Amino acid sequence: MTQDTSSPESTPSGAVTDCTRRNFLVSLAGGLSIAFFMPSGGRTVEAAAATPDVQLNAYIRIGTDGRITLLFGGAEMGQGSMSGLSQILAEELMVDWNQITIQQSDANAAISYTTGGSSAVSRRYIPLRTAGATARELLIASAMLATGDTTRGNYVAKSGVVTRTDPVSGAQQSWKYGDLTVQAASPQAQALLPIPIPLTDPAQFRLIGQPVPRPDIPLKVNGSARYGIDVFLPGMVFAVIKHCPTIGGTLAATPAKPASAIAVVPCTTPADRGAMLKGTYNAVAVVADNTWKAKQIAKSLTVKWTLPASTASVDSASLLAQANLLLTTGVPIVAEPNNPTPDAATIEGQVATALTGSAKTAEATFTLPYLAHATMEVLNCSVSPTYTAGVLTALEIWAPNQSAMSVVNMAITLSGLVATQITVHTTFLGGGLGRKIEQDYVSQAIQVALSVKKAVKLTWMREEDFGHDQYRPMAVIKTKAGLDASNKIAAWSYRIVTPSISWQRGRTGLDSQAVEGAVRLPYGRGTSVVEWVNLPAGIPVGYWRSVGSSLNAFATECLIDMLAQAAGQDPFVFRTNNTTDARALELLAMTDAATAWRKTIPATHAWGLAIAEAFGTMVCEVIEISQPTAGALTIHRVYAAVNCGTVINPDSVEAQIQGAIIHGLTAALWGEVKFTKGVAGQTNFNRYRMMRLNETPTITVQVVKSSNAPTGIGEPGVPPAAPALANAYSRLKNVRVTSLPLFPGTTMGGL
Amino acid sequence: MYTLNVNGTNYQVNVTDGATPLLWVLRDIIGLTGTKYGCGIEVCGACTVVIDGQREHSCVVDVSSAVGKKIVTVEGLSPDNSHPVQKAWTQCQVPQCGYCQPGMIMATVAAINAGHHGNEILPELGNVCVCGTYERVRKAVKTL
Repeated sequence: MTQDTSSPESTPSGAVTDCTRRNFLVSLAGGLSIAFFMPSGGRTVEAAAATPDVQLNAYIRIGTDGRITLLFGGAEMGQGSMSGLSQILAEELMVDWNQITIQQSDANAAISYTTGGSSAVSRRYIPLRTAGATARELLIASAMLATGDTTRGNYVAKSGVVTRTDPVSGAQQSWKYGDLTVQAASPQAQALLPIPIPLTDPAQFRLIGQPVPRPDIPLKVNGSARYGIDVFLPGMVFAVIKHCPTIGGTLAATPAKPASAIAVVPCTTPADRGAMLKGTYNAVAVVADNTWKAKQIAKSLTVKWTLPASTASVDSASLLAQANLLLTTGVPIVAEPNNPTPDAATIEGQVATALTGSAKTAEATFTLPYLAHATMEVLNCSVSPTYTAGVLTALEIWAPNQSAMSVVNMAITLSGLVATQITVHTTFLGGGLGRKIEQDYVSQAIQVALSVKKAVKLTWMREEDFGHDQYRPMAVIKTKAGLDASNKIAAWSYRIVTPSISWQRGRTGLDSQAVEGAVRLPYGRGTSVVEWVNLPAGIPVGYWRSVGSSLNAFATECLIDMLAQAAGQDPFVFRTNNTTDARALELLAMTDAATAWRKTIPATHAWGLAIAEAFGTMVCEVIEISQPTAGALTIHRVYAAVNCGTVINPDSVEAQIQGAIIHGLTAALWGEVKFTKGVAGQTNFNRYRMMRLNETPTITVQVVKSSNAPTGIGEPGVPPAAPALANAYSRLKNVRVTSLPLFPGTTMGGL
Repeated sequence: MYTLNVNGTNYQVNVTDGATPLLWVLRDIIGLTGTKYGCGIEVCGACTVVIDGQREHSCVVDVSSAVGKKIVTVEGLSPDNSHPVQKAWTQCQVPQCGYCQPGMIMATVAAINAGHHGNEILPELGNVCVCGTYERVRKAVKTL
């Protein structure tokens, strides 16, 4: 498997930097073949004349030279989608993984998809296997047409070669895939396709389940991997953004251009966030001939902003007070039970009665902060406009983005061009984490390019990236649960007050993401209600790795541990007694056995357990900690058991779970963005501490063998990390932790 | 105008402000984009390069002070990913998003230059990796 991330930009010195581009050009010279289209859910085969390559399901090309190219419509931000998808295709095409070239597709409605919800590989597992198997069967059909023998059993496809064995003489005849592509395009070949298309028996998998090396890694150890921030275009100018420091503030007057600047461009954020930002400028971009110069000019530029009257309420302390008030006075939307959904007052009354009748109860109100995404690569976007006789005729955009079609749509909105005039290149992402689904930075770069009528790269300095994030929402969660005489959960009351990502984007009704991780729990809960109340806060919120589960798994799994304590039971025993979910039982048993060490740890250490499902994947984690000095914490080790269905690449699963645990622990220990009168208090890593190598525990990951469909892997390691840590810390200190982060206000020193 | 020696090549860079950080000169003027901008305040380590054999954070190194010194960036390690650190990183499949890795790799190179081997290198690696590749970094460093 090789990788082609070709795009036509050049380095500042003018040299074309992409050495793999030739692979792509060679395959284009392949000759006549077919186009093939398969919408999800059905199967349609369309022949299209004179396209140079076999194009299957808009994903796959097989050249007459036998080269197989997989067009990648998502975003590679470190999660390993590129290798996972290549493995799946290679499996069904009966070729080795290194015979597939994966190529980042430009934005294309047929190919591009939003990379989010841990779905990049799992949602494409069956469609891509089907596409690969269809290609294989078409190639075999092409060989059948050559011989006149249509008995499928006489043919084998292997390593890029179709071989027919004569059933009588045993004589063999072979064709390379490239020699079969032309006939594979014919209606006659398609008529020979078996229905349904036979997929490879999982027992025969050669590649799915193997730790195949990732194609992007060689580029990432020598500096040649090109992220958005590395794009250079001939004649390009460089812009940095300077937002109104106060959220909700608008530009009072565009400042005069300093002599050293090329331009100062007012920018709006025309996202669907309501009137606050629509049609008004909330930032200026300073344009210069290099990024540093633009940053220096922006720093000294005095800009007058108009602050809205609501500024005072955009404040962490007042928002927390408001959320606490809404715990009792808010109008809830019932998320569970949901079939049918009862009236809130009625179900609350029933749960109250069940709680009164409980033998033992536990209750707590949990508080979680706003979090920043803090992707290592700051937001940036490059745009090159083309003018013909003074009229804008094309836009070419390079963006590290998780949603290429959203970039296209933003460009259409701002430029008035049509989709065919807009080209969007998705670069590597130096981390996405949900932040690069948003289009604010893209829109600003387009506005600047259209203003200066030149190619431009717009970069957010780190302070802007932290100060104008679309944050993981804060939450206050009030919980109370009761046990019956046999220590089974008999009553469960759960209300989360949190700002809604979807309501900020104009939607109404139950925000399913606000309650994910609080509903469809593996535990029986007796008489139960799960409710959500929107917190109408003026701080923009967005999708942070694992979204609502990062809030709800914390409260839920802490409450479960409190119930275990009330029952006088071990956390494993209590959970096992309160679930009938086969996956949960298996993971708990596996974790119990694998963490026998927890019974022999020093008396000054403690361990904590949590289990949660997110994006279809269930993860169980145990964390061992100790506290050498007040205010510090040593995390000694973490164990994680994972059920993610069929494993495509175990090496990627391990890496994602390890990384997600570090992500979750970092946030639980230190993560918080606090606002004072609309201004973020954390604007760089020095005040937004990240876990470093010397603080990282050993992390052991075990994965359940499963033949179920694959489920998400990028995010599900995050949700159990915070509650497992909090449960350990509560046990260590003998005081229940109800608020994150554990160590607020911590700073991170220089290297 | 300053003359910088980067990866064995002399570059004449047209910069008027001698206080311009080396990071931005490498990236925007010379075009060596392997060295990354992360924080600009010497906390994250994404901009780490090796100057006269030692680890430096190029976001806080004035271009004027880099004149006459030997600067090595990730692009200068080898023409073919054959540097021992690159090989270890590839073998252990360390990078995820990869953005911090040039800095992590150059900090490792500097630690080796200082005479450290294997686990002795670990205390020298304070680089921030938001993906959390640290377990793989440990695995890779053990082999060096």
